[in-house]
Amino acid sequence: MRIACPHCGPRGVDEFSYLGDATVTRPTDPADLDGFAAYVHERRNPAGRHRELWQHALGCQSWLVVTRDTRTHAIEAVEAARDVALARAGGES
Amino acid sequence: MPDALIARSALRPHVAPPSTPAGDVGATLREVEGLTLASVAALGGREAELAEAVRAAYGLDLPTAPKRIASGAAAFIWAGPGKWLASSTAPNADFTGLPAAVADQSDGRAVLRLSGPRAREILATLTAIDLHPRAFAPGDAAMTHAASIAIHLWQVDEAPTYEFAAFRSYAATLWRWIVHAGATRGLDARLG
Repeated sequence: MRIACPHCGPRGVDEFSYLGDATVTRPTDPADLDGFAAYVHERRNPAGRHRELWQHALGCQSWLVVTRDTRTHAIEAVEAARDVALARAGGES
Repeated sequence: MPDALIARSALRPHVAPPSTPAGDVGATLREVEGLTLASVAALGGREAELAEAVRAAYGLDLPTAPKRIASGAAAFIWAGPGKWLASSTAPNADFTGLPAAVADQSDGRAVLRLSGPRAREILATLTAIDLHPRAFAPGDAAMTHAASIAIHLWQVDEAPTYEFAAFRSYAATLWRWIVHAGATRGLDARLG
């Protein structure tokens, strides 16, 4: 599998570290225990399109959001995680 | 009074053995000593200020893609978004005046230079990135690994000459991997 780092170009998967599910979001309310339990522990295991966090650990160190088909390993999109987080926050930096 | 702290090579002959070619020299491997190195990271929202300061002090435009730019003694090598490795061959060079997070790396990294007609072939046995001249040319840089050792690589000229920085504790292992890769390719490797 090769991942096209938006900063470095396509590199072998051996340069990247998998860092988890990119679809979960941290609850904003610190008292939301059910929300935190779900955020920490509950994961879907889709056969198909999935969004994942990867880090280009042996490269530019950037955190990335990779949209990947778990059945074929086909990669649909690779985005800088910072851009994804900013877009989610409404573009505030 | 204690002696001043002086950057000292990570390599010694017993950990970085020489290699002498039997026939023609295909490539040479040397350590690049005496460099001042610093990691430079832009502070949040102050990238433009840093770029302006580098332009004013060194006459260089900080690259925003994997490139190395150099002028006189100083060079800046892209090291990821908002990050650079600054290097200088000038004695007493000091990058700490830049408006950025600057950390000295002069004795934290070892820099090796591999040069000659078979340098590309030797390096290509250790690293997976495309080094073909169409894909990687003088001025291009990459952060990748060679034999699983993280390297910060850039091409200097079309000899071809490559230079790469590795964490100091990996320098001797990297040296020996290159000596192995160059054993049948006319590698001339020696320290100092």
